[in-house]
Amino acid sequence: MTRKDSSLSRRHVLAGAAAGAAVGSLGLPAILGAQPAAIKVGILHPVTGPLSYSGTQARAGAQMAIEEINAAGGIKSMGGARLEALLADAQSRPDVGAAEVEKLNEAGAAAIVGPFASGIALATTQAAARHGIPHIVDVGVVDQVVTRGLANTFRFGPGLKTIVDTAIGNLIKINEGAGKPARTVMIVHEESAFGSGMATTLNAELPKHGFEIVETIKHANPTRDFSNIVLRVQARKPDLLIPSNYYDEYVLFARALQQQRVAPKAIYSILGGGASSYKFLKEFPQAASYVMDCNHWFDPRKAQALALKEKTEKRNLFFTYEVFLNYSCVYLLADALERAGNARRDAITAALAASTLDRHVMPYGPTRFVNGQNTGAQPVTTQILDRDIKVIFPLAFASGNVVYPIPERLG
Amino acid sequence: MNARLVMAAGLAAALAVPYLVRSDFWLGFLITVLLFAVMGMAWNILGGYAGQFSFGHAAFFGTGAYAAAVLHIGFGLNPWLGLAVAALAGGLVALVIGYLSFRYGLRGSYFALITLAFAEVLRILANWAEFTGGGVGLYVPLKVGIANLQFSGKTGYYYVALGFAVLSLAVGWALEHSRLGAQLMAIRENEDAAQALGVDTFACKLKAIALSGALTGIGGGFYTHYYLYIDPGIAYGPGVSVEILLVPIIGGLGTVFGPLLGSAVLHGAGELARRLMGDAPGLNLIFYGVLLIVMVRFMPEGLMGLVWRLRHRWRRVADA
Repeated sequence: MTRKDSSLSRRHVLAGAAAGAAVGSLGLPAILGAQPAAIKVGILHPVTGPLSYSGTQARAGAQMAIEEINAAGGIKSMGGARLEALLADAQSRPDVGAAEVEKLNEAGAAAIVGPFASGIALATTQAAARHGIPHIVDVGVVDQVVTRGLANTFRFGPGLKTIVDTAIGNLIKINEGAGKPARTVMIVHEESAFGSGMATTLNAELPKHGFEIVETIKHANPTRDFSNIVLRVQARKPDLLIPSNYYDEYVLFARALQQQRVAPKAIYSILGGGASSYKFLKEFPQAASYVMDCNHWFDPRKAQALALKEKTEKRNLFFTYEVFLNYSCVYLLADALERAGNARRDAITAALAASTLDRHVMPYGPTRFVNGQNTGAQPVTTQILDRDIKVIFPLAFASGNVVYPIPERLG
Repeated sequence: MNARLVMAAGLAAALAVPYLVRSDFWLGFLITVLLFAVMGMAWNILGGYAGQFSFGHAAFFGTGAYAAAVLHIGFGLNPWLGLAVAALAGGLVALVIGYLSFRYGLRGSYFALITLAFAEVLRILANWAEFTGGGVGLYVPLKVGIANLQFSGKTGYYYVALGFAVLSLAVGWALEHSRLGAQLMAIRENEDAAQALGVDTFACKLKAIALSGALTGIGGGFYTHYYLYIDPGIAYGPGVSVEILLVPIIGGLGTVFGPLLGSAVLHGAGELARRLMGDAPGLNLIFYGVLLIVMVRFMPEGLMGLVWRLRHRWRRVADA
């Protein structure tokens, strides 16, 4: 944990102190005395280390939500109590994440939002459970995060099984809709929990639906030269290519594919590190063209989502899923606080468990937690079309029509 | 006699800590200090006493961690027994690495590099093998109970870590006062001369690396049951190796209390940096790095060297 986040500058404090003294001298101390105590919220992410980009984005999303909630008058049922962010850095390590939870506990955090990565989430939720701190997990897709019976853990986004099931379901619909042009699949994945878990699941599930997996290639993190892997893709000529890796590797792989003119019928990723990324789109529009991805995404039909996108971009940040998921998680917490009417941890936990929030920026139904998992959460399938990221599935949220098989992408 | 009294008082104070420190954060901090003191002592046996610098103690840490996890999850082995198996596994891997390295006369930077390479090979194997959970890693089921080596609070973990720290100090003290210890120090000072004097340098170095691997393996096993999660990056990544070797280098190579002191200062400095540097991401790590550079530059004999120098100076002043 680092420091309290506050928009108050020294000048504001001095001005406030002077105003307070003036009000006091006028005999109106009751106004100041009525100001409710701020509610401390632990904002815990890996803002240093290998996951620092995602952690920084996630922190920004949470902070924007806190600013908005405070500007709108704080938590009304608690007399307008402000949310106060206690910023914490897990340094991309589970053990540091767990130690930060202890610090947040002692600093009086009413709840914790974070910590992006599954491995860190396993450690932080457990540490938080020891103190009964409600812990809203933003991403942390590995299913074990919510299957250990921890009553304090609430995952807002979908879990890995839901994501993979949805991705495969959407892929089948896309393929069948085009007359089943694709049969063979090649998977290229990174070596850690995320990529390996995905590859194992896909190897088990895709053959059940008539796809033949011709090869699965694992690569190290970091990998900077994908030319040999692309040569193997060229040799295998798969109909579908499924990359599963973090941002840098995803982008480098996509660029290498484009440079060597590898033309599968589709590049379809699941939680692709770069696929649903405005950064990738802006920097390498050709390599990004027509890439499909099943991922966390905002609801493009909601005005609140578009306003958040604009606000994020004004801060020179890319509108990534870390931003809007954490933004929504803070709103989820604020809603629970409104209903709880106090900042006691057990009351917040009970309010979260009974949450039916639909005022978020995601394409979800109202939140409904079953064993800590938001069953209303779902991923969507996106495709990069006309230099924009469009939702193509589910159709209820779609903002574009799928292009499949994809045309040749010229380098 | 005085030294023994001081040690007894230190142990009594350490035993009383959970009754005095009510903060779970600080108890957690002390557990980390003790854990790395154990592994720092393990490194010290090989690097400090025998002069064989290893950059790959993650190989022993990770093997101990995975042995504890795989046997508990897959075969239901009691975690307490799992710690013993972790020690055996760590020692065994150390013996293999030691045999291959020392048999072919690798010394100095070549030995350091080969240990680093072994740790990296094990990381790749752990990523590939199914029984280690591949890149996904292994999750130890959450079942709080003393029999499962899972405690509801930090106090239980603290006492287990303290027990291992005392054990490591006892091992260090016994080694320093043993024939093997003298032989290792002779090897450190001049291996060829030690061999000429009849020391079986190969056997001595093998004993040192096996002991070092076993103690590090215990650390790995404890880590698994403390955090309930292990993956190849955590287990065999270079970060663990570096953290383990920094502890005795900062504290004092070839000393009994150096690793404990080094671990306390190393982690204390890290925490201090985090508190001083506010929320500017990464600035605390820069401060931490600069602090380490300054310490190594101005205290090449480690903190124990500084303690000795100060004690010597104080005695001279007292005598004058």
